[in-house]
Amino acid sequence: MEQFKILIVILLSSVFVDNYVLCRFLGICPFLGVSKKLNQAVGMGVAVTVVMLLATAVTWPIQHLVLNALGLGYLQNIVFILIIATLVQILEMLLRRLSPALYTGLGVYLPLITTNCAVLGVTINNINDGYSFVESAASALGCGLGFLLAMVLFSGLRSRIDETNIPAPFRGLAVTLIAASFISLAFMGFGGIVENIFA
Amino acid sequence: MNKKNSLSVLTNGILKENPTLVLILGTCPTLATTTTVTGALGMGIAAMIVLLCSNVFISLLRKVIPETMRIPCYIVIIAGFVTIVKMLVQAFFPGLYETLGVYLDLITVNCIILGRAEMFANKNSVAASALDGIGMGLGFTLALTAMATIREVFGAASFAGASIPFLENYTIAFLTKAPGGLLVYGLLIALVYAITKGKAPAKTSFSCSGCPNAATCHIETCSGKGDEA
Amino acid sequence: MIRNMKNLSIFVCICTAITLLLAITNTFTAPIIEKNQSASANKALFALMPDASGFEQVDTSGYTLPATVSEIHRETSGLGYVMTLVTSGYASDMVIMCGVRTDGTVSGAVCLSSNETLGKEKTYGEQFVNKDAAAVDAVDVIGGATKTTAAYKNAVKDALNASIILGGGSVDIRTEEEILADNLAAALPAGEEQFERLFLVEVLDGIDAVYKAENGAGYVFVMGEQFAGVLSNGTVVTEGVADPAALSGAVQRLEAVVLEEIDLSAYPDLLNTVLSAKKTPSGNFVVETKGAGYGIKGGNEYHPASGEYIVVRVSMTPNGKIIDCLTVSEAETDGLGDACADEKFYGQFVGKTEENYTEIDAISGATMTTDGYKQAIERAFAALSALRGGAQQ
Repeated sequence: MEQFKILIVILLSSVFVDNYVLCRFLGICPFLGVSKKLNQAVGMGVAVTVVMLLATAVTWPIQHLVLNALGLGYLQNIVFILIIATLVQILEMLLRRLSPALYTGLGVYLPLITTNCAVLGVTINNINDGYSFVESAASALGCGLGFLLAMVLFSGLRSRIDETNIPAPFRGLAVTLIAASFISLAFMGFGGIVENIFA
Repeated sequence: MNKKNSLSVLTNGILKENPTLVLILGTCPTLATTTTVTGALGMGIAAMIVLLCSNVFISLLRKVIPETMRIPCYIVIIAGFVTIVKMLVQAFFPGLYETLGVYLDLITVNCIILGRAEMFANKNSVAASALDGIGMGLGFTLALTAMATIREVFGAASFAGASIPFLENYTIAFLTKAPGGLLVYGLLIALVYAITKGKAPAKTSFSCSGCPNAATCHIETCSGKGDEA
Repeated sequence: MIRNMKNLSIFVCICTAITLLLAITNTFTAPIIEKNQSASANKALFALMPDASGFEQVDTSGYTLPATVSEIHRETSGLGYVMTLVTSGYASDMVIMCGVRTDGTVSGAVCLSSNETLGKEKTYGEQFVNKDAAAVDAVDVIGGATKTTAAYKNAVKDALNASIILGGGSVDIRTEEEILADNLAAALPAGEEQFERLFLVEVLDGIDAVYKAENGAGYVFVMGEQFAGVLSNGTVVTEGVADPAALSGAVQRLEAVVLEEIDLSAYPDLLNTVLSAKKTPSGNFVVETKGAGYGIKGGNEYHPASGEYIVVRVSMTPNGKIIDCLTVSEAETDGLGDACADEKFYGQFVGKTEENYTEIDAISGATMTTDGYKQAIERAFAALSALRGGAQQ
């Protein structure tokens, strides 16, 4: 029961309090780049969540069973990024072969994920925070869902921005960042809630 | 390569093609490490060293690295230099290591570095690649420091840790928080755009394919790609 | 295919080269990183012993140290030790770090964590600097936090004692309770180490306290420094007792005591103040009275939060001398007034009479409790005179 509570806290805090995009600034590029339309945002968000979960499931055992055991902790960065790149490649190939429909929905976003710092970030953070395998999975799921949530919320805002007349210097990225700032401000309101959820 | 040319390679990154404020690359560290000037400078310099080393190394090996395997090779080289820089920082600047945290590791996925490898280092000489690395790194560092100065001076009434007494009662704590970073970044980009009057450099030369940011890029050559994605 | 193999081998070569580069960097940064990490971990140690040049952890398994000592670091050049002590304060455990020099003085003390109510214990440790064991006792008490202060001082003394033990010396590290328990067990082995303090109802000259073995084997009489064990049949088992016959007689009197309950309904004046009254065959009285402790609410004199009085049991000779005194119950403020349940406080009334019972040391920070206690004693004397009158009737 206690363990279950810890998992819930990890999950909820990575969705809301420590939202990777809005509070820790990881995965800003796709957040700004692929949030113009709702279907794009959902596709990217789901793809990132899947890759985060898979990457964590693979990197955690490798770090603990291989790198740490051999005293090769310093290879973490190289190994993790290669694993993520390989996973993304395999996933893309599989999707293209097995489900063309899913591929058009999700697969096209996959090549953009290799250099998504949120994925590398979540795998390294899970190791640094000393999470167990199950906790790491909860944290990866939470981060992915948090990313999805931020993308979906933001795509709603973006479609309104596109219809307004904005002074020239602010057009494009500037106004997008300022809008993101407001969403981030709203997320600050979650601070301190999750920790006390079982108190 | 004549002198004038090499100078332009160096200054390109600082002004005309500033990676952070004009090309809008490497947004994550720009937002995350600019709460303090010290952190921003540290991140900028660390990224610059990685950029310089990876540019030189990739340029050296540009004839050896096979075309089809180039991206994995670049990634391994970059990740390797990132780890070396990380170990050095941890050994000699433990305070900075604490400040930067996971963002030091994430230099690996900084679009600037992979972008320069892909678009410059594998086509140019070692010397030019080195200059390009320094120029881009300086541009990144300067932009980060400028943003950090705004956030730290007005947000925490201090500069690189030294407190500024007369601002102490007028701090805007919001600026040091996450939304403040996004806001300042947005305003800075608008400012740069206003100054350059939108005459952003036309750059077919820069890697947009590796940057998911393309959809919101001002640069017309980029935007098409992102919209399709 | 051949081309693929070639490409792959180039990739593998690059990976190997980079790995080699990393391994080289690692071999020379790893020791520095490790040193940095231990330096930051030892920062707290250096704060407590500023002259130190380095620390190493001591394996304590070979020593018998005070129970509070949880971790010891030895200063590498032999200046002394920094110890981590865990002690029970009033509300929860306190973790105290204390630096001790080999000359037996304190080089620094700090409380790392506590949930104590006052917070003053954070800086309290500074007062111990350069003090030796004797001077530690004289350090000012934290006002209103007697238990916390006592726990803190004991921890510092434990650190000083541990330093002596580590240096090869020996020191009595037993607490007062442990010393008492050891003395009792030595005086009367038949008591099987289970003793309870007896509430005296008879005057026993020259005897400070009597402990009864819980298994009924006998009694231990405390006379100054001496502990004398006597079996319940009157046989004195401790050698070197000055007057064994007197002790045998005392045991017979203690065994023979049967208290006679006095019906208080005959004394309407006492009903509100006296809970019970008993009489011994020799004519002494044992009364339980109540006194208003901290917080007198209107006419109802009791502790406002719990509704409880201080209840005191007093045994007295018919001519008004207190034989023994005991706090039966109280609900005074934790950490302040509840010191009235401590024998150090109520023991002061033993031997006092109606004339001088107020000449006792008050509980610091709890004047109301002290006054309430005195009120209870006063009522015991009032009860005595009434009961004595009744007995004469």
